[in-house]
Amino acid sequence: MAESPEKFIPGRRDLLAKIASTVFAGLVARAIVGEPAPAEAATLPELPPLPPAQPDEDPLIRMMRDLQRALQKPLEQRRWVMVIDLRKCVGCHACTISCVAENKLPPGVVYRVVLEEEIGTYPYVTRRFIPRPCMQCDRPPCVPVCPVYATWKRPDGIVVIDYHECIGCRYCITACPYGARTFDFGDRYTEGTPGAQAFLVGEEGASVYEVSPAFEYGRPWPRRGEAQPVGNTRKCHFCLHRIERGLLPQCVVTCIGRATYFGDANDPDNLVSELIARPNVIRLKEEMGAEPKVYYLL
Amino acid sequence: MKRRIFYGLAVLTVLFGLWGIYERVAFGHRHASYGSYVVWGLWVALYLFFAGIAAGTFVFATLDYLFRVPAFARTGRLSLFLTLIALGAGLLHIWLDLGRPELVWKVYLQPNFNSVMAQIVWGYTIFGLLSLIMLGMSFRPQRYAGWLKLLSAIGLLLALFLSGGVGALLGVQAARPFWHVGLFPVQFPFFSLASGAALLLFVYGLFDRAANEHRHSLLHVLAILTLVLQLIKLYFLWADFSQSVYGGVPMNVAAVRAVLFGRYWWAFWILQIFLGSLVPIIILIWPRLATRPSWAALAGFLVLLGFAAARANIVFPALGVPELPQLIGAFHSIRLQFSYFPSLMEWALSVGISGLAGLIFLIGYDRLPLTPAHVRTA
Repeated sequence: MAESPEKFIPGRRDLLAKIASTVFAGLVARAIVGEPAPAEAATLPELPPLPPAQPDEDPLIRMMRDLQRALQKPLEQRRWVMVIDLRKCVGCHACTISCVAENKLPPGVVYRVVLEEEIGTYPYVTRRFIPRPCMQCDRPPCVPVCPVYATWKRPDGIVVIDYHECIGCRYCITACPYGARTFDFGDRYTEGTPGAQAFLVGEEGASVYEVSPAFEYGRPWPRRGEAQPVGNTRKCHFCLHRIERGLLPQCVVTCIGRATYFGDANDPDNLVSELIARPNVIRLKEEMGAEPKVYYLL
Repeated sequence: MKRRIFYGLAVLTVLFGLWGIYERVAFGHRHASYGSYVVWGLWVALYLFFAGIAAGTFVFATLDYLFRVPAFARTGRLSLFLTLIALGAGLLHIWLDLGRPELVWKVYLQPNFNSVMAQIVWGYTIFGLLSLIMLGMSFRPQRYAGWLKLLSAIGLLLALFLSGGVGALLGVQAARPFWHVGLFPVQFPFFSLASGAALLLFVYGLFDRAANEHRHSLLHVLAILTLVLQLIKLYFLWADFSQSVYGGVPMNVAAVRAVLFGRYWWAFWILQIFLGSLVPIIILIWPRLATRPSWAALAGFLVLLGFAAARANIVFPALGVPELPQLIGAFHSIRLQFSYFPSLMEWALSVGISGLAGLIFLIGYDRLPLTPAHVRTA
């Protein structure tokens, strides 16, 4: 359908600002109200408005549109995958940091590291950066080993953990071929720091951030004492709480080189479907047979 | 005098352990040295160690109740007692290792039987109950002779299943080539039997009344058995390591190299091989030496020491090799390191649990009618 010329078409900057403010408002509101949101929403939430498609649009806009289209489908018909273009990754670690901030990860818990390797010998030498989120394997080795069904693969392919069910045996961590699961020891950034009243440093100031809740799986997880997820295994979930509100995973949004792509591989018109059909696509440790859903473009 | 030293030692270790318990309860896992890469530490290694002993000593109880081997006559009651103590020590270790120990009931009420861990938790629970019932029945052996025989047969199969299951717990992990050895579930029952025999050598050698009137022949049989099992253990070790190195799979080779030449090479060469294998073999190969109680006790102790080191050398090196080589240094945190040495809190808790096991044994030995002499008078 053709758009009328009078209709306001937001620019890329306007749109990103709006998305950011929506996300922030949503997080703060829920932090204050403390209202848990269902992890698998039965009804579609209000999705961020998007401009009409343009040929040279930012891949983020395209992916947002693809995401919104995927959300119209039943859960079991979606197949979320991530594609990472290693030629575009500059190793800035923005994705790692934004993931830590988004999920309020404590010390020692990390969902998305960037692996670095040096290739070649001088003068023909280069560095390669390999972001490594959870691979959300189609045959996840971490799932069958759990003694209490605390971790499972959702119909849309995302492997999740129920923090109230996990007993903290860490068997799943040993089973992961990618080292993608970490254990929450209950460590705090402010532990042992001086009690200065500064805003960011010092226990009084920084602990405000430290105890503010994460919103993994669509509900608040305030960091109080030994409450879950302390004592649990934790992992990347492709920012499920964001996806279900029509937002891309935080690592995708913050990638400065647009090296990370996300979408529904069951949709042939989705950007990721185009990317994973290329001949230069690989997956890590394919020989393990876990069928990872994170693809790399070489 | 000797007994007082034992009691004193046991009480001291328990006191040390109480501090460890306080640390564990008050600070959770924060004062532990393991992290998210070497995710299992000393407690898991000692769980494997004690669980192995429990299965092994149970097999020796069946030599009395099921197979009626004359040399082991009336030793079954004490063997069952040792089984329960070792099992308790093992399960206490693994329970305190859980991130949420208060949720352990979920393994019983919502078990995933596809998980080897759930299988062996259930198995050990049934095994523990069965051993407890048998111990109760052993106080009236004439009345329950048939039951003891039946439960011994069931328990024997369970002991083999469980010790093999512990091997499978690690063996099914394809992500860890060092563990992913098809023969692990076959090897572990041998390890269990060897550690059970070693514990009995230690106990019969050190405590006069623990053995029956055939103490000499009992020590002789146990010495031969321990010797043979030690040689089998060394053969398994050689087979594993030589195939791993020959095969050349990088993660596997890295783990073997870590064991042989890594930071804790001494745990392998000195504790596991020299003190835990070669010295006991030298003692046990001479019947005159092996049947002398103090030497038998020493050999038993050394074999146990070697097995404890071996359990650590199975668990830690496999986890100390990164799943992806570049994970080293990808994100800096004390929880994201590939080296591990237990913290003081971890040692305290393990020493305390071991001391508690020793104290319970001493009290049982001194106060309860557990020894063969009691069985005779009954």
